[in-house]
Amino acid sequence: MDKVLIIDDDEELCELVSEYLTVEGFDIESVNDGESGLKRALSGEYDMAILDVMLPKMNGFDVLRNLREQSKLPVIMLTARGDDMERIVGLEIGADDYLPKPFNPRELAARLRAILRRSALVDNGDPSEKIDVDGVQLSAASRTIVREGEELNLTSVEFGLLHELLKEAGKIVKKEDLSESVLERKLSPYDRSLDMHISNLRKKLGTRADGSERIKTIRSVGYIYTLV
Amino acid sequence: MKLFVKIFLWFLAAIALTGFVIFFVTRTFQTQPLVSRIERSTRNQMTIYGGTANQIAASEGDAGVKTFLARLREVEPPREVLLIGQDGSILYAGGPEIKDTGELVARVLASGQTETDFTSEERSLGGAPVNFPDGRRGVLVLQWERGSPPSLFWGSWLAYLRLGGVLLTAILLCWLLALYLTSPIRKLREAAQRLAAGDLQTRVADLVGRRRDELADLAGDFDVMAERIESLVTQQQRLNRDISHELRSPLARLNVALEIAKQKSGPDTQPMLARIEGESTRLNEMISRLLILAKLESGSEEIEPVRIDLTELVRDVAADADFEAQAKGKAVEVSSADRCTVMGSENLLRSAIENVLRNAVRYTAEGTTVDVSLAADNGNAVVRVADHGGGVPEEELENLFRPFYRVGEARDRKTGGIGLGLAIAQRAVKAHKGSITAKNLNGGLLVEIGVGRSEPPA
Repeated sequence: MDKVLIIDDDEELCELVSEYLTVEGFDIESVNDGESGLKRALSGEYDMAILDVMLPKMNGFDVLRNLREQSKLPVIMLTARGDDMERIVGLEIGADDYLPKPFNPRELAARLRAILRRSALVDNGDPSEKIDVDGVQLSAASRTIVREGEELNLTSVEFGLLHELLKEAGKIVKKEDLSESVLERKLSPYDRSLDMHISNLRKKLGTRADGSERIKTIRSVGYIYTLV
Repeated sequence: MKLFVKIFLWFLAAIALTGFVIFFVTRTFQTQPLVSRIERSTRNQMTIYGGTANQIAASEGDAGVKTFLARLREVEPPREVLLIGQDGSILYAGGPEIKDTGELVARVLASGQTETDFTSEERSLGGAPVNFPDGRRGVLVLQWERGSPPSLFWGSWLAYLRLGGVLLTAILLCWLLALYLTSPIRKLREAAQRLAAGDLQTRVADLVGRRRDELADLAGDFDVMAERIESLVTQQQRLNRDISHELRSPLARLNVALEIAKQKSGPDTQPMLARIEGESTRLNEMISRLLILAKLESGSEEIEPVRIDLTELVRDVAADADFEAQAKGKAVEVSSADRCTVMGSENLLRSAIENVLRNAVRYTAEGTTVDVSLAADNGNAVVRVADHGGGVPEEELENLFRPFYRVGEARDRKTGGIGLGLAIAQRAVKAHKGSITAKNLNGGLLVEIGVGRSEPPA
């Protein structure tokens, strides 16, 4: 059973989420402040963490920042709805996904499963699959990206997106397909999360020597990993 | 006209008027006595010279008189001397002839006393009788040039220098005074503008310096006001954050509890639970939008202007809206789109256009198409969204942008709106110094958003 850690100061919410997710087949533990949350998350006992932004003692961003220095534990951030800054900052410092609070628990369960499935690929992915496109090497087995000799620190969503784009390098990959294959949910209108993940991925990948973007947006259609 | 210019001109006019009055009064009350003094002194001198000439004539004869008269000519101020005999013959003339002496000479001969003539502006004439020992009688005539008192400000380079000095001093003084009075007002105005633009920490106490007048009081009051506004806005923002957190915590719990209830309940309660979920979603949506609106109205949402390709933004939002509309048997179509770039916040503009578009999709009749167009109109980029929803009563058009305003109770409830979309759109457009208007057109509502264009990068 997958062990999930919830770090949220709302004890009642933690209880309810535990109850719900237990029925959905997860093993849940919860802590109510940032410091102990970070300690538990670093213990290595968990497969995944749900992290609230507003926390006593140490806020969610600091917890995530500290966590990312040592661990690749998948993290879903719970952000205040309508606050773009929180989402952007969360994804930038390495959250795998975010969910605006108040959230629909079914959605939470679905995202947990999606992320867990992706991180499970680390162990049983096709070890032979390696992609090498203009200085960017992707290894499906170790789930690592090396760009010009330097390993990039990508979240699982970013890795998934880059994987899909590299597989089809030079061709347009539709937003709908990316959403379904990587985020494992149907693309809904006005949902900008795919754009945000791509934007972070772009930042981490950097531009080519001549300043051109590696990943181009085809508005309203999708994205393309450009070939030189 | 600028207050500075007004004060400057008024004081300059006041100084000029004062100068003129002083000049006029001085002329009137000082020149008159001066003239009569000149007349008296002329008469006295004449009498003395006449007496002396008589004595010299008696003791030294003609030659003595001539020497005396010659000496008289050399005395300052310059004068002309003439001795006329009883018969009109000239007995002595030094220098140029003195003209028109007949009347004066006749008067002197008639009276046997000193007489004067001031009828001419340029000269003063004096005449005194002279009796020679041999019985001849003559008249001594003296002529002084009577220059008017030298003008202070006219006629010579010194006078011009003086005039220039006075004018320059007056102008400088007025300028300084105007500056002294208006500079704190200007600073206050700048501060008020900064405050209005959202810089709530603006204070002016330091700007007005060590003044202790009404302007300093005004500056003090301004600071008190700014202080109060700042604390109100800060409180408001804190309240918003708190509301956001506090209202959402129970909502978050409600959502999870609801889902557990769904897991555990039988099929007959499912519709009610779905209903509760719907209401909860709506409540949540309303809170988010209220918060966005509050943020926009307080001006605390800072816009970091970036260059936005409005054409792509409009197409993007329209595509999303079309996706949503298709599910309801409606459609959204971009009928025309000029290339436009604007400077602003992409999020705010997106939300403005999205709100207007979704509103149109909500109200347009089933089977109809919402028409979207983007036109480059002079310096503006104009987005037009036209629906076929029957429009809005003319007198209610301007109320559309008020929060929670409903055109006809039933209409909005049924369509599921919460009455904040257009209000948010308006605030977002205003934050870009743009305009948003609504009017009826062809049995539908047309909403126009105008935002100032920026030149696309070369």
